Amino acid sequence: MRDPANPSVESPEFPPELARLPPGRHGLPREFVSHNQRERLIAGLAEAVAENGYAGTTIAHITRNAAVSRRTFYEHFGSKDECFIAAYDTVMAELRKRVGEAFDQEDEWPRAVRAGIRAMLEFLAAEPHLARLSMVEALVAGPVVVERYDAAIQSLVPYFAAGREGVSGEVLAGLSPTTEEALVGGMVSLISRRIFADRTEELESLLPDLVEFTLTPYLGSAEAAKVARAS
Amino acid sequence: MASESTTRPLPGRHQLSREFIAQHQRTRIVAALAQESSEKGYRQVTVADVVRRAGIARNTFYENFRSKDDCFLATQEFAMTAALELVVTAAGDHDSWADRVRLGLTAFLEYVVEEPALARTCMVEALSAGPAAVERYEKSQQAFVSLFKLGRDVSPHGRDLPETLEEAIIGGVFWIVYQRLAVGDVAAIPDLLEELIEFALTPYLGAEAAREVATGAGESV
Repeated sequence: MRDPANPSVESPEFPPELARLPPGRHGLPREFVSHNQRERLIAGLAEAVAENGYAGTTIAHITRNAAVSRRTFYEHFGSKDECFIAAYDTVMAELRKRVGEAFDQEDEWPRAVRAGIRAMLEFLAAEPHLARLSMVEALVAGPVVVERYDAAIQSLVPYFAAGREGVSGEVLAGLSPTTEEALVGGMVSLISRRIFADRTEELESLLPDLVEFTLTPYLGSAEAAKVARAS
Repeated sequence: MASESTTRPLPGRHQLSREFIAQHQRTRIVAALAQESSEKGYRQVTVADVVRRAGIARNTFYENFRSKDDCFLATQEFAMTAALELVVTAAGDHDSWADRVRLGLTAFLEYVVEEPALARTCMVEALSAGPAAVERYEKSQQAFVSLFKLGRDVSPHGRDLPETLEEAIIGGVFWIVYQRLAVGDVAAIPDLLEELIEFALTPYLGAEAAREVATGAGESV
């Protein structure tokens, strides 16, 4: 088993596909350049949104950051909204991948939960622009993105629901159907509040609290605290 | 339009004080903004929509509010104050902290169900209405933190509970309500009461004691 405490060793630096191409001539095939332009636009948008907020971001900001022409922008995206959705989806796909991998590396469910939460916190702390884009600006970017945001948060429910398998019938009977939804909502509210306040450096220190909070309904608070404070 | 004229106050003489009318107008504008926002989303709402809905003159709007955003913040303040007052009154000075939480949450959900447009404005639309609105939304959650914190005194392991516990519990409760409001499923909210009470009390009292308090609540809804 790989060491979940040290995922940064195995993970490539994010986001490789968002890395910028040096401007100027390069003998790259047209398709690659085109793909790369798209990624550059996405990175350009993330930067612009971090600086100006979603509402204050213009296509000019995005193309300037991406060092491409306005025409190139419109070859890839119909609007600022469309570019934002692409950026949002890219960030969430990466986040999902990291959480899923971290979770799968552990055999025991409580430790898997801890590894998944840790992966999420590490990613968001390491990428404050993307954290803001996905957890704060997504909410102001219109109903299409808000719907995706809600779905992304709800997609964390199964990780917690998996804990129902290991508990006694008595505990299971006591878990209400919305337990996981409430846990996920509570966890995300703690995370978003710190991102909103530009305190992403505090995110990783939330780990023990979040682990204890989310495991308590399944394991009881004493056992949950033990897992939370281990390592 | 006929419908418009019937919603307007009758022109002409009346005995009401200026102050009364001004207060009444503000309340109407606030209610209109909440209705419009919950129907089409705050970003799509214009001052013209609010004016039409409230049945007032555009001038009257601007006598009361500087802008649409200003009006939004007032709406939020109005609803938050009303909800908090109900929660505090309901929780009252009951001896048992768990009962205070139960009664407070009951009052909170009742308010949401009775005023779905205002609740939606505060809990859903606020998140997309700019930083000032988000800050107020955050503040409204903080008001509940102090109520929950008292649970540490009655919990056998109160001193060991994580520092952020209350923030997480309230975030969870708000998220559950948000989900229902976001899709317009207000009817589902009353049924959530027991689950939410149990969820909120479990970290302090353990699952079994939390459930006992929660199921006692079933009758009072």
